[in-house]
Amino acid sequence: MTPFYAWVTSLAHSGVLPADFQYPFLVRGFLCVLLLTPMLGGLSHLVVARRMAFFSAALGQAALTGVSLGLLIGEPLNSPYAGMFGFCLLATLGMVYVKRRSSLPPDTLIGVFLALSLGLGLVLLVAVTRQFNVHQVEAILFGSLLTVTDSDLLLLLAVGVVVMALLAREYNHLLLDSLSPPLAGVEGSDSRFLDYFFAFLLALSIVVSLKIIGALLVEALVVVPAAASRNVARSARGYLVWSVAVAFVAGAGGLIVSNRFLVPTGAAVVLGASLAFFVTLIASALGRGSLARLMRGRHAAGVAVVLVGAVLLASRMWIGALLVAAGAYFFKFGWPTSSQRPTTND
Amino acid sequence: MSAVATFSTTPTPSTSSSILDVSNLTVRIDGQTLLSDVSLSIARGTLHAIVGPNGAGKSTLVNAILGQIRFEGRILAHWRRNGRIGYVPQSFAVDRTLPVTVADFLALTRQRRPVCFGVGHDARRRIGAMLVGVGLAGFEQRQLSVLSGGELRRVLLAHALDPLPELLILDEPATGLDQTASQWLEDVLLAARDRDDVTVLMVSHDHERVKRHGDRVTVLDTRVVADGAPADALA
Repeated sequence: MTPFYAWVTSLAHSGVLPADFQYPFLVRGFLCVLLLTPMLGGLSHLVVARRMAFFSAALGQAALTGVSLGLLIGEPLNSPYAGMFGFCLLATLGMVYVKRRSSLPPDTLIGVFLALSLGLGLVLLVAVTRQFNVHQVEAILFGSLLTVTDSDLLLLLAVGVVVMALLAREYNHLLLDSLSPPLAGVEGSDSRFLDYFFAFLLALSIVVSLKIIGALLVEALVVVPAAASRNVARSARGYLVWSVAVAFVAGAGGLIVSNRFLVPTGAAVVLGASLAFFVTLIASALGRGSLARLMRGRHAAGVAVVLVGAVLLASRMWIGALLVAAGAYFFKFGWPTSSQRPTTND
Repeated sequence: MSAVATFSTTPTPSTSSSILDVSNLTVRIDGQTLLSDVSLSIARGTLHAIVGPNGAGKSTLVNAILGQIRFEGRILAHWRRNGRIGYVPQSFAVDRTLPVTVADFLALTRQRRPVCFGVGHDARRRIGAMLVGVGLAGFEQRQLSVLSGGELRRVLLAHALDPLPELLILDEPATGLDQTASQWLEDVLLAARDRDDVTVLMVSHDHERVKRHGDRVTVLDTRVVADGAPADALA
């Protein structure tokens, strides 16, 4: 890989590529984004269609517990994949099995698993921090470009190809099963197999994404691109294209912001995806001619203005502070109106 | 629990006059008996209606026939042609924010290529013809979520009728349809039976319509209350 990095660095020095690409770790990060976004984008729209957003959050926490477990049994800090994948797989099988057997609502059951793995993870994390520097563990929690190695990239490539190939093979069955399990059953789909199959692919993808996105935020990248995509997509194809595009823009943008402003990569990527969600929400409202109605919803308007302000602030444009304050005001009190509501005299 | 759902898959065409034989079917869920010792036979090429009050186990019977729930007893199918079951479910709740078009939905089982990569030329042509057949020409790019109840039911019927099934199962297909749409549905079902030799098994609440066009009726109330010609069974 060294000649490749040298070539990219030379392109950055000669001005063909942005100056950020003179650092090999950033090139690795960009390659990660190129590999991650089709995989997570492809998965994300099915995650939302199959209502597995909360399931993804639980898997992220399980991955954290798995990392701690792996480190405690002697795995290297840089690649605790066995513990991570092992525990995630266990949690996946457990959650799907109990969900299919129990009459309790799925979110309640997943909440129980989430609490269990989070509690266990925190206990193990305390034990881990006795052996490792807490800042080393932080990279796993929030994601860090510095810890991504060429081996991680190769693993990501291999897993990405396998996940996308398997997903493409079963996509139509998965979508039909999301729309109507009885109809999918009549057409020959095995709902139980699809449940386990998709959860397994999700677990695999989350494990390999963890080093760059972080355990606490990986769930967001599995959900937010699809949520943003839903605002603007009008067909299954558009849904996929927009999900991948949002994940890519958020990933690449997050990398640059992370590098320039020294913030955790995962956080920057997820903020980028969230920003994309609000942008598509506004675009969708504009498309429906209902922007005014949307903006009258004080919470949506407030959050959107705060986010725009935060981006400006991050770019050291201090007017952003004013927007943040204004957004907070809208969130709390609503849009200022020129006329008073009519009052009645009792 | 013993679940014996045997669908004949032998290449030799069956000579049986019935397409489906249900014997001693019992369904229990969470300790509650939803169906008890139900036996019935569905004759080939007929319109067989299942009627009964709410909670009688009509949809449970359909689910058992489709192999979607556990049961005790035996369900034996005798196929002569493709052995395909077309199914129109009672409810089809579409997530209003899911961007899936009518063409996407119908292509899910009509092309191998993932629908998220687009609907292929052949599938598009076939879907166009299917939609013309149910009076929804030009609806390919409409999103499922914006369809009315009647339009959605037509899309589901188009899906169930292509390729032509040997057995068509409809769970309360006329629910929510106006008079014109109900009449249209009736015409389609009668054409499927008379012209295409499709056996129709239909759960219905409309006794008058069943009396007019049904060949046989089974009245259910957890168990079989009556089974025979409509005039006798619904008397």
